[in-house]
Amino acid sequence: MRLIRELFQYREMIASLVRKDLKGRYKGSVLGFLWTFINPLLQLLVYTMVFSVILKSGIENYYLHLFVALVPWIFFASSLTTGSHLILDQKNMIKKIYFPREVLPVAYTTSSFCNMLFSFVIVFAVIAVMRIGVAWTVLPWLIPVMAIQYILVLGMNFITSSVTVYCRDLEHIMGVLSMAWMYLSPVVYGVQFIPQGWERYYMLNPMAPIILAYRDILYYKKMPDLGQLGLAFGLSVSVLLIGILVFEKLSKRFAEEL
Amino acid sequence: MAAIEIHDLHKKFRVYADQGHSLKEKLLSKKRRSYEDRWVLNGISLEVEKGEAIALVGKNGCGKSTLLKLMSRILFPESGTVKLNGRVSSLIELGAGFHPDMTGRENIYTNASIFGLTHKEIDERLQEIIDFSEMEEFIDNPVRTYSSGMYMRLAFSVAIHVGADILLIDEILAVGDAAFQAKCFERLMEIKGEGTTIVIVSHSMAQLERICDRTVWIDEGKIRMEGAPNEVHPKYLEYMGQRRQLSPKKNVPQSQTAASDAQPPETPAKWTGIRLLNEQGEPIEKFATGDTVILELSYRAEPEKAEEVLIGLALYRADKALCYGTNTQREHLAPIVLKETGTIRCRFSPMNLVAGTYWFDAAMRRMDMFAYDYAAQAVRFAVYDPIDETGVTRLDHTWSFDAADS
Repeated sequence: MRLIRELFQYREMIASLVRKDLKGRYKGSVLGFLWTFINPLLQLLVYTMVFSVILKSGIENYYLHLFVALVPWIFFASSLTTGSHLILDQKNMIKKIYFPREVLPVAYTTSSFCNMLFSFVIVFAVIAVMRIGVAWTVLPWLIPVMAIQYILVLGMNFITSSVTVYCRDLEHIMGVLSMAWMYLSPVVYGVQFIPQGWERYYMLNPMAPIILAYRDILYYKKMPDLGQLGLAFGLSVSVLLIGILVFEKLSKRFAEEL
Repeated sequence: MAAIEIHDLHKKFRVYADQGHSLKEKLLSKKRRSYEDRWVLNGISLEVEKGEAIALVGKNGCGKSTLLKLMSRILFPESGTVKLNGRVSSLIELGAGFHPDMTGRENIYTNASIFGLTHKEIDERLQEIIDFSEMEEFIDNPVRTYSSGMYMRLAFSVAIHVGADILLIDEILAVGDAAFQAKCFERLMEIKGEGTTIVIVSHSMAQLERICDRTVWIDEGKIRMEGAPNEVHPKYLEYMGQRRQLSPKKNVPQSQTAASDAQPPETPAKWTGIRLLNEQGEPIEKFATGDTVILELSYRAEPEKAEEVLIGLALYRADKALCYGTNTQREHLAPIVLKETGTIRCRFSPMNLVAGTYWFDAAMRRMDMFAYDYAAQAVRFAVYDPIDETGVTRLDHTWSFDAADS
């Protein structure tokens, strides 16, 4: 409760950090803000080349099958890679002035989330250009799915950013971890490739049901599996609660450890 | 309800033999990971009433800044509690979050938001902040084009306008030029008058005396003494004076040469020591208003090269205000012929400066004003005052009252 009240009090700081991050992210680069779109498109191109030309997966409209999963994945992966040093990056401010430290992960998660929303504009553009169409009745399900993912990513950011302060190696391990995690999630392949009997364990990865839900809504144009979505919600909330506890505990000595 | 309640506060820092943050270092070298605990606060309890202004004094490393950081919640204590009731603004670090590429106006928003202000609250205060900083014409230029003085002025202006209930200040009253400093100080007095609680860490006793109701002297992580500033400060200064005299090397006032007066590398006359003495001829660093003091200037010269000189003195207060200046020529004294070594004494009887910290500059000049030696801040001293007078110097005066029955 104290946390929510303080975060509300500091809402202008969160907003200003988000604005600064969105504006500053590509400052000084020629294409500027366009990188928000170009980056996922380039990744999409590479994976599509590999998995539909070289390793033929036999999935119809593979690029869309991939794209609707890749965009949320990039949002999640940000919590592992750049998110892990978001506290380190604000060293000067933390050592010198008080503000609720939770403001930083919240602001960072929000700006990554906004980036994902911008990328979804491209997803819908692709859907429109390729005349694939959307099912308007299931489209609103995107809102709870995105909300669940926001909770998950926020929780991850709380954990990775605070632990990295005490153990700087984490920053380097995260690159590999994020790659492994991606292949353990149904990003480049469909859930039909999971061996029988493994599914139950596979779904303990909260990103699995979340990605499947995005894909159900945008690719298969059907309702997401509510059981799986419930599981994802439960897991995400647990990650967030653990994240808050860890962050609360570790943030007390940030100013000394930085 | 007290504005600040501190109960039995303990704080230690880990001093790493070799701070390794990487996993390899943490796993492989247990020894290198070893650290020592250094206790900086050993049980401090303190209560500050709403609207009260307190000063924290103590020698470097005594824990006063740590205490201030604990109050501002940058650090957390090992044990004990700190409770602050109300919005806190800290003037510990000015200009937090300032971005050089953004304009002054944009930075006001960023900086104020870090103090927990909402957009609307900042809108309401914006004009006041700009007016106070005297930066109207530059406010839409990027901050990187500002001079450091302008930067500090803007930052101070934001910090002081956030409408805090509690203001924590660490040695920052050295912002900008003398005029702006005076303005900051006035503003602080005003804020205090509005009921804001203020905690100041400073070395300027004179400043503290003007604003604070109470002084807390911290030594070795404990409260050594607390009470009215005019009771605590003389004791503190006395203690600091004794400490300094224990290390005599530091105490020998070395003459420094000022950059403004160019002089040849081999000057034919130099100050060798400048001291302040009491009537008994003992060196002192502090005295009470009205005491007799003697400024003793020792020099070495090459009589065959050195021409006749005049001696100039300038007395400054710690805020760089010139309190008094004179020289032997203006006082129509004969030019001085230098010997190989010699001592010049100037007696002030009585020295009527009011409480504060001051210093003397001393110059030895040829009659054409060329400086053989100019010792800036040659001797610093503190004056304490049993009477709570203000201003620069005590003027001789007597009171008379009508008899009751006339």
